[in-house]
Amino acid sequence: MPGMSQHTARIPELTRVRLKEMAIKTIWFLCAIFAIITIFFILAFLIGNAYPAFQEIGIWNFLTGTSWTPANVNPEYGIYPLIVGTLLVTLGAMIIAVPLSIGCAVYISEIASPRIKSLIKPAIELLSGIPSVVFGFFGLIILTNWLRILFDIPTGESWLAGSIILAIMALPTIISISEDAISSVPQEYREGSLALGATRWQTISRVTTPAALSGITAAIILGIGRAIGETMAVLMVAGNAAIIPDPIWNVLSPVRTLTATLGIEMGEVSTTSLHYNALFGIAVVLLVIALVVNILATVVLARLRTSATPSAKTCEGSKNGFRSYLTPVEDLVLPNVSYILIVLAAIAAFIVAGLVATIVVVAILLGIQVLHRQVSPRWMQRIAFSLIGIAVAIVLFSLAVILYDIIANGLPYLTWDFLTEAPSNLGRSGGIFPAIVGTLYLVAGAILIALPIGIGAAIYLTEYTLEGRMTKIIRAGADLLNGTPSIVFGLFGFAFLVLFLNFGVSLIAGQVTLALMILPTIIRTTEESLKTVPQSLREGSFALGATKWQTIRRVVLPPAMPGIITGTILSIGRAAGETAPIMFTAVVFSSRFLPQSLFDPVMALPYHLFILSTNIPGASGAKYGTALVLLLLVVGIYAIAIAVRSHYHRKLRW
Amino acid sequence: MSDNTSLLTISGLNLWYGETHALKNISMEIQDKKVTALIGPSGCGKSTLIRCFNRMNDLVNGCRIDGTVRFHETEIYADGADPAELRRKIGMVFQKPNPFPKSIYENIAYGPRIHGINDRAKLDGIVETSLKKAALWDEVKDRLHHSAMGLSGGQQQRLCIARTIAVEPEVILMDEPCSALDPIATAKIESLIEELKKQYCVIIVTHNMQQAARVSDYTGFMYMGDLAEFGETVQIFENPKNELTENYITGRFG
Repeated sequence: MPGMSQHTARIPELTRVRLKEMAIKTIWFLCAIFAIITIFFILAFLIGNAYPAFQEIGIWNFLTGTSWTPANVNPEYGIYPLIVGTLLVTLGAMIIAVPLSIGCAVYISEIASPRIKSLIKPAIELLSGIPSVVFGFFGLIILTNWLRILFDIPTGESWLAGSIILAIMALPTIISISEDAISSVPQEYREGSLALGATRWQTISRVTTPAALSGITAAIILGIGRAIGETMAVLMVAGNAAIIPDPIWNVLSPVRTLTATLGIEMGEVSTTSLHYNALFGIAVVLLVIALVVNILATVVLARLRTSATPSAKTCEGSKNGFRSYLTPVEDLVLPNVSYILIVLAAIAAFIVAGLVATIVVVAILLGIQVLHRQVSPRWMQRIAFSLIGIAVAIVLFSLAVILYDIIANGLPYLTWDFLTEAPSNLGRSGGIFPAIVGTLYLVAGAILIALPIGIGAAIYLTEYTLEGRMTKIIRAGADLLNGTPSIVFGLFGFAFLVLFLNFGVSLIAGQVTLALMILPTIIRTTEESLKTVPQSLREGSFALGATKWQTIRRVVLPPAMPGIITGTILSIGRAAGETAPIMFTAVVFSSRFLPQSLFDPVMALPYHLFILSTNIPGASGAKYGTALVLLLLVVGIYAIAIAVRSHYHRKLRW
Repeated sequence: MSDNTSLLTISGLNLWYGETHALKNISMEIQDKKVTALIGPSGCGKSTLIRCFNRMNDLVNGCRIDGTVRFHETEIYADGADPAELRRKIGMVFQKPNPFPKSIYENIAYGPRIHGINDRAKLDGIVETSLKKAALWDEVKDRLHHSAMGLSGGQQQRLCIARTIAVEPEVILMDEPCSALDPIATAKIESLIEELKKQYCVIIVTHNMQQAARVSDYTGFMYMGDLAEFGETVQIFENPKNELTENYITGRFG
């Protein structure tokens, strides 16, 4: 019977489909499990290695001890000066960056014409792509020199220099997120206010900005997170003396941050000493700070989400934008009471820094308020718009100075020989070919490892699991690592891969460390892209009898692809520009040969620039040449990401 | 119709959005203390026209305007004319209720405050009178300091009307104020409009022909950017001169 044969033919077909579905699901499940184990292994490894230090020194003494002298005969491990240094540098950076950023954000979203907006916005996003070692290089060569001459001091390496550089680095983060928040304020609010005869400035200051306040607050918190986590730039310009400035407001005093301490001492520490464990203690403190930043931002953004507005739809876009920065951590339970103590201490310290910054902002706002009473609205608008114009000018000017300095001085060295030859005379002459190749190897390896696992894990988490306690904990872990300073990954890679697994300082150790660093980002951006695909599309596909994998492959992945690609490209850029994770795991300063195997060390552009500018006097040309190549490489990668995103933005609309 | 009570005089008004010619040579005169309705099919330009009267189209990129709009004796598009000053005198109520994310009280007090009134007792008075005029006072007097977002759609729209009244305008523009509301809320707004015209010049854009017939004294019928016919409401609905108008109000298209 024809019906019969058709029937029998369909059964193996069905089994085959089902087997395929099972196999695919298993692959994604393995990716997810691997990612989860890795994430929690890193956290456990750091805490485990820090534990002896906490036990021996005592958490309280560790946090409040006023002297950090690990090299002495009777070493002392008190990180209080380092915490103070970190807070002061961050505080200074925020005092500079917050008014400038909010001014810029208001300008971009409310005042600029569309044409100017379409120029400034990507420019500011590109600014976030400049590697931190390039900022450090600029700070060390130019900024500290200016400060030295301006204040007539022996060296410009100081708290102030650190704060200025960190402020410039935090600008793009704060500007982009604040601008998102202000732009997503429903247009009806503006129209409602303007229709009552309010001036543009009255509308901005009394309706639009207040409505965006939680988004702006979250932006500042994330900016603080970025400033606290920065290693290389601060290490290069802040002077690194583990002292508390005397008097406390002496901005010209050198300071040392937590991250810089790891960057300086990690390479020379004996693994059997208490010093080694104390460095892990610092890493745990940094993790706790990342956790606090994450929780604060989450709480603020949760408020943003619950405050219902008449046009909830308009806010939808911003929610998606924000979610890629973070998600709830409420389910993360720390195991030990001592850790809760650290959390409390860190929260306290953090609140102090936050309070001072708030007071400054409030003072400025009050000043404006007083002026409001005195001056007519039209003049007020003129004054306010001029101040905003000045803020925009300062930001663009700093960007222009940095880029001009590096391009003008670096361009003459950008020759074919420079790009294709090995360095000689300690990098003063010759080229940087091995460093370029090394960086490309490191990035390629990192992406090859992180991409399949990250995307697989994200697919499993969003498409195959129900939203529950487990996914929340996993997401919290990924977010925590996402906000963790890159130097902490360097520490992990050094201790676990280089020493414990005995990889030695090698290409593979660097690749794995970088992969671990970008894995959380890839997971989260992929998850976010998948989530923006409306559920109704999935239902539509299932209703036609498609299987899970058919639905994912043909319906969910195609529209999510631009988001995933953008996330990946940004990760590549970040991996290419990072110094901290590779400097103790993979790189050497000088190597005339390319690596022969995965277990050889390599040269890399960021590290090459770091050593040239901090340890090799008289290599001015090579420094600028290297800085320019690194800048072009990373900014080029970012530019591709931005282009991809805006290309698909125009094509895709739900 | 040009008698001495005409408040707004529009002549030869053209408007382009980029390449699109959205308003074509519109001329009309609008009387004080009357309700003027603009009707017409979707996309005919009625909302665009009403937004010319308080220069809200300034906010639209690529929008170009030509012709004159005189309010009293002043040209509102003259160089140096201050749109904020104009909008204070010509208020607007939007299609979708758009209260600010503030308390009910602060929503009303916002306008007076930006125009320099900071005295608490005075503000209290303005809030109360405005809410009473908007027939909302009894419903909200016990929760003035609660968020305006908690009100129903109809209440939100009346709040927006109260907010507009609070700055004491001469003209109130209403851009389809009832299109997002249910019939009961619509009836309330309509009877409110009856009250408002005793003090204000009201211009209303509506999709709903019955509404125009019910509330307005004058009606303009717009079609594809043209003001096809403009006259007293009774005449427009009972004895239209233009064939297009007749087809529209008898429901042959729209």
